[in-house]
Amino acid sequence: MASVTTTQLPGMTGDFDNTLDDGVSKAPLVLGEATFREVTRKICRVAEAPRAPLAWYVAFAISTALVGVLGVMIAYAVFTGVGVWGNNSPVFWGFPIINFVFWVGLAHAGTFISAILLLFRQKWRTGINRFAEATTVFAVVCAGLFPGIHVGRPWFAYWMAPVPNVMGAWPNFYSPLLWDAIAVFTYTNVSLLFWYVGMIPDLATFRDRSKTRLRHTIYGILAMGWRGSAKHWQLYERTILILAGLATALVLGVSSTVSTDFAVSQLPGWHETIFPPYFTVGAIFSGFALVLALAIPARELFGLKDLITKRHLDNLAKITLVMGSIVTYIYLMEFFIAYYSGNGYEQFAYLTRIMGPYWRMGWLILFCNCLVPQIFWFKFARTTWWLALPAALLCLVGMWSERFVIIVTVLNRDFLPSAWHNYAPTWVDWLTFAGSIGLFFTLFLLFCRFLPMIAMSEVKSILPQAEGHVHDDSPAAAAGH
Amino acid sequence: MSTAHNIEPVVKEPQMYGLLAEFHDVQTLLDAAVALRKAGYKKWDCYTPFPVHGMDKAMGIRPSILPWIALAGAMGGVFTILALAPLCNAFLYPMIFSGKPYWGMPGHIPMAFALGILGGTVFVVHGLFVLARLPQFYHPLFTAERFRRVTDDGMFIAIEATDPSYSPSATSQLLTKLGAAAVEEIRD
Repeated sequence: MASVTTTQLPGMTGDFDNTLDDGVSKAPLVLGEATFREVTRKICRVAEAPRAPLAWYVAFAISTALVGVLGVMIAYAVFTGVGVWGNNSPVFWGFPIINFVFWVGLAHAGTFISAILLLFRQKWRTGINRFAEATTVFAVVCAGLFPGIHVGRPWFAYWMAPVPNVMGAWPNFYSPLLWDAIAVFTYTNVSLLFWYVGMIPDLATFRDRSKTRLRHTIYGILAMGWRGSAKHWQLYERTILILAGLATALVLGVSSTVSTDFAVSQLPGWHETIFPPYFTVGAIFSGFALVLALAIPARELFGLKDLITKRHLDNLAKITLVMGSIVTYIYLMEFFIAYYSGNGYEQFAYLTRIMGPYWRMGWLILFCNCLVPQIFWFKFARTTWWLALPAALLCLVGMWSERFVIIVTVLNRDFLPSAWHNYAPTWVDWLTFAGSIGLFFTLFLLFCRFLPMIAMSEVKSILPQAEGHVHDDSPAAAAGH
Repeated sequence: MSTAHNIEPVVKEPQMYGLLAEFHDVQTLLDAAVALRKAGYKKWDCYTPFPVHGMDKAMGIRPSILPWIALAGAMGGVFTILALAPLCNAFLYPMIFSGKPYWGMPGHIPMAFALGILGGTVFVVHGLFVLARLPQFYHPLFTAERFRRVTDDGMFIAIEATDPSYSPSATSQLLTKLGAAAVEEIRD
């Protein structure tokens, strides 16, 4: 590869600050030795190393232990009954629905990065899109778990599908709960297919570099015999573009549909037209906070600082800031509409949030989601891990609290004061939630170790030496274009 | 690039697949692709570790029917719901929910939207595999040791022996003239 040595950037390694453009040329998105071979080597060595870093084993041990806890908690709830949870009357939707909405929201950053940023031709997405898509798939898995166990008898979950049955009954197609089931089913399948199709060329790289027969067979089957043919690349790129278009509609549609579970009901505090964009923006906000919180340790741990550069962290933090600010605007607008509506019930619902029994969480939301992201106005905070990481984690805490407050403070103040009842999660609730976090990290750690964590073919395509010009003016060329 | 070779009967062993030429940079590969298309070759392909911008133009690859496949899938998803919802709620088990009509399209739009996206996705992904003829676990090119680098940093052009313009010596010379760093015969 003698011809590409001119593109090497000596002295620019992962700690180089590439967040500024000098006005003449774009700052490089790949630091260190930016050759095709070096990109392959850096990404493959994570999966090809005989041993993972010690921190990986520690994290994996904790995560799998939590998955065990999750299994025990689900078995306990199923065999004993859902009374082991804190759900009561009138708060029928406790932790299961809070966690469902929270996890679905976390999934949104991956789809946003791989779909909307692709349509906007944001080249920096190539460094982070693969593992952001992985967080989508795993977060949707965790999300799907909760409605599944919330029905109490998971073996009847198929009743939600229009299956011919002896009772002659069919699902209610007007019900937002059915819309929700279909939306999440769609989201699971689309994000999985998008992730897998995007990974095929990189799985082929793993296949071609494999040293053992087992690896060669497994990655060979997963890569489907990909051989980098130009005809295949043309179909592949077109497929990715179409999937990006479809997923863009989906990223805006799924949380909107989830929000109709609330907005279509007749409860003050839920019955609002702002809910679809509100849930979508909150979802993207929490998703970017998650990707930021995962990117910071991952680039350190796996030696990927040349590929996930400071510019990537900078951009992730900026989008978190934008989304956090929109969330803040929506909070203010909700309170304003409650005031301006002149509706006593609506006003009561909003005063309950900040002055009712859960006022601490109400203010925690305003702190975590409105104030904390504002530190990302400062570049020092965006590119310094010990500021960015806690801020991102606080955003996640804030968004989980938001889901809690939206669900609990509306339900616990029923229309008749005699029906009022506060909600307190039990230890089973907490351990189930912790178990779902363990499930997410187990899947994510396995992904980091065994699958291409960064889209190699896409990173290679943004290197300067991947550019060429077609010197041809014949009509045949125009027809083929 | 003499056309005299075109009329020669292609004498080849039955197991000859063709020629594999390795290139070292994208610009040479693109120029070679334009030259091969102009020389009238039909059964050949470029192989790269990443999608090369402009390669479809250089090789003269026609746009695929994938967008239409996606559209068909999306429409299929939309109309599945628009037909299934009234079938269930208006005909098989007519029931009044919240005073709404048996057959009211607005309430069915969210599901039609979701299933349309699902249909489009499933169709376009399967369309990709069908049009690209994948999975294909064996290919003659996989026998070449150097071809393993096609998913790392290797860039190749392979011309099949069944191409009418193919001739073992002339095609090889042409590839070398176009800047190939190495030309290798591939046997199946």
